[in-house]
Amino acid sequence: MGAEAGDILVLRPGSVGDDLDAVTPALTEAFARAREALAAGRPVAVLVDAGDLLGQGSPLDAALATGLLGMVRTLGIEGAKSGWRVNVVARGEGGEEAVEETVAMLARSPLSGQLLTLGGANLGKVVP
Amino acid sequence: MTAAGTAIVTGAAGGLGGRIGERLAAAGHELLLVDLDPAVEEVAAAAGARAVVADLTQAAGVEAVLAAAGDDVAVLVNNAGITRDARATKMNEADFATVVEVNLVAAMRLTLALEPRYRDGAAVVNMSSRASLGNFGQANYSASKSGLVGFGRALAQRWAPRVRVNAVAPSLVDTPMTQAMPPDVLAKMVARIPAGRIGTPDDVAGIVAFLASPEAGYVTGQVLFACGGRSVAP
Repeated sequence: MGAEAGDILVLRPGSVGDDLDAVTPALTEAFARAREALAAGRPVAVLVDAGDLLGQGSPLDAALATGLLGMVRTLGIEGAKSGWRVNVVARGEGGEEAVEETVAMLARSPLSGQLLTLGGANLGKVVP
Repeated sequence: MTAAGTAIVTGAAGGLGGRIGERLAAAGHELLLVDLDPAVEEVAAAAGARAVVADLTQAAGVEAVLAAAGDDVAVLVNNAGITRDARATKMNEADFATVVEVNLVAAMRLTLALEPRYRDGAAVVNMSSRASLGNFGQANYSASKSGLVGFGRALAQRWAPRVRVNAVAPSLVDTPMTQAMPPDVLAKMVARIPAGRIGTPDDVAGIVAFLASPEAGYVTGQVLFACGGRSVAP
């Protein structure tokens, strides 16, 4: 599920499709890996699809994406005093280059607990 | 069978679930109350409703609900939920998984299994939480309740216009769970609620009943925060 980008841990959960039994392991693995990295002083970026945050695809992928967002926000709250840096990047328009630039920015940014949405496809929609 | 169809409420042995059931019964629905706790049978008997004692994390539990649900489901309220709170640094991975499985995956499993049983115009109401926005000590609970939001948004689009899917996001509600909290801790939490008080089961049940009703017929894919303003306060 993960890939390293410099000193930042990048989590890229794959699609769970229609597999209900895959949701809990995916969320739990993301939690465990994020916590381990944060405890080691490494920032974390969780990549999801912007459309999944609004439920524009598979219901289970939407549950996974928004579940990760809720988890990240809590980790951001809990780790505020410790300097934890954990964020969600929502992939929209712009392709992989935009993702890499954003992750590189997050690797050196004090931002935490935030959702950064790439591209404007979901502007005018509800804020996830 | 009533003209209003069947309303299924999970987590119905508790105060909130029971109150939701009462509101839906008052709207004319035939009630099917579901809980892992056998006490749901007493709640159902008092309400003139039917009960199913079932563990919705298991396929057999979902089958038991399907067997009792009939073919005219008008309302499903996914209210069942648990907490296993701890700071992330102390949180047991098994507790993380258990909360996600009960609060999120079990609700998704039942909601999807009932798809052929919903009548035209049916409503699903998922019990999310203000904590879906993040809450200290609740990485698991936040994930589960936020996950319900995304799931509902997707189903709202997939099942429109036949079935509406929305969520309610309460904050502190006066239930046995909150009554068991240390008074000083509870007081600090209430102090952060602009409404100046803890929510009541009626506060939340009324919102659920509204979202389940035809009056909310043009509302789908939404989250209604019934939290006394906690979601916007410092």
